[in-house]
Amino acid sequence: MFDFFSEIKWEYLYDFDLAIESLPFLLEGLRVTLIIAGFSMVFALIIGIIVGIARMSKLAIFRLPAKFYISFMRGTPLLVFVFILYYGLPVIGIEFESSIVAAIVGVSFNFAAYLAEVVRSAISSVPKGQWEAAETLQMSYFQTLRRIVIPQATRIAVPPTFNIFMDVLKGTSLASVITVQELLYSGRLIAGRTYDSMTMYITVAIIYWLVSIVIGAIQSRLEIRYNRYLAKG
Amino acid sequence: MITVENLKKKFGDQVVLESINFSVNKGEVVCLVGASGSGKTTLLRCLNLLEEPSAGTLKIGNKRVEFGKQKVTKEDVKEIRQYSGMVFQSFNLFPHKTLIENIIEAPITVQKRDKKEVVVEANEILEKVGLIEHKDKYPDALSGGQQQRAAIARSLMMHPEILLFDEPTSALDPQLVREVLKVIEELAKEGQTMVIVTHEMNFARRIANRALFMDEGYILEEGPAEKVLSNPKEARTREFLALLEDE
Repeated sequence: MFDFFSEIKWEYLYDFDLAIESLPFLLEGLRVTLIIAGFSMVFALIIGIIVGIARMSKLAIFRLPAKFYISFMRGTPLLVFVFILYYGLPVIGIEFESSIVAAIVGVSFNFAAYLAEVVRSAISSVPKGQWEAAETLQMSYFQTLRRIVIPQATRIAVPPTFNIFMDVLKGTSLASVITVQELLYSGRLIAGRTYDSMTMYITVAIIYWLVSIVIGAIQSRLEIRYNRYLAKG
Repeated sequence: MITVENLKKKFGDQVVLESINFSVNKGEVVCLVGASGSGKTTLLRCLNLLEEPSAGTLKIGNKRVEFGKQKVTKEDVKEIRQYSGMVFQSFNLFPHKTLIENIIEAPITVQKRDKKEVVVEANEILEKVGLIEHKDKYPDALSGGQQQRAAIARSLMMHPEILLFDEPTSALDPQLVREVLKVIEELAKEGQTMVIVTHEMNFARRIANRALFMDEGYILEEGPAEKVLSNPKEARTREFLALLEDE
């Protein structure tokens, strides 16, 4: 037991100088990460809302494709889907302009499936009485959805949506595998050159973590805003 | 105003309403009474097609719809609903909107009326139901009685020819029942046509022109409220009333 600890080379644990030296380069990678994550969150949310509503449709031509899409995306690894996009599609003559675009498409379409499920459960959680009250006031289906149901569903959807947004942020790291020079890829480059993987990957992890904390803070603010109509206590 | 002929309603194999015939004249207040499960709420919900009857006909105003033969279209539903407003047992106010927002919502989004004019009218109606000082509060901050009065105000904003009430005081604490009944009574005096499902027998005797006693999907007894609710012909009606007195 003591032998085990005495053999650890603590002096190599973290090289602050290297970390600070490589920070500008890592932040350049972070910029790409944030671009991919930002676009993916927006696209995933839009696709998720459309698929989620289609999934609840009474009409099979909307419901079944939505169900299939959700099932496929949830049932396959994101990395495999990204490989299909980036390495598979060129075989049949479809090529992405850049690997960043492929990454955004892959991440958006994959997480949209999870968001569709969030949308569906949030909308179903709005009591039936709300629909009926709107109906008796002669509001149409879309008026009811837009003015009555979605605002209430949004409150319920905020926490799970932000969980998924954090997964989106972390999911962008898979883009490094298709040579997108984002945060993780940048870290790998330096780690390869300096042979200090420990310092580099810890630094990369901390940067992801800090961005997650910011996302969490945005979530808290939204939760306060959407809960304002509930009685306190 | 309303004519119902031979109305039937089945949920799957279960018959909930059987050969219902009745009518409501303009300015009349009709109370539906009966035990739970007797079909009175379902009948009320058939009147604005929240439930679609399985057979029979429903005529409201100038609109007549026949059920069971061809599919009821969206247009049919829309036309029927133009005549009525509904007040629910559980209020169903929109929790994310303040009282005034709740009340101006439908006139603005559905009827496309001018917002200023709607707000003026909303203030008048809130004044009338005694909620003007709460108009900027969210429903969650109000008592059940206040919420129900707001729900009545919300229906009134659409100027319905008929107001339907589904046990409007059943979800309220006893001390809050009176304030809601008072508002309904006020409407009765103004000549508002109303169909009310209720367990408040004294209230029904006082304001209703007619009462229908329902039992197992049938209208068992019908007549002037005073007579049906104080001196009924049918043994079942007497039994039911005696049970309520006991409580």
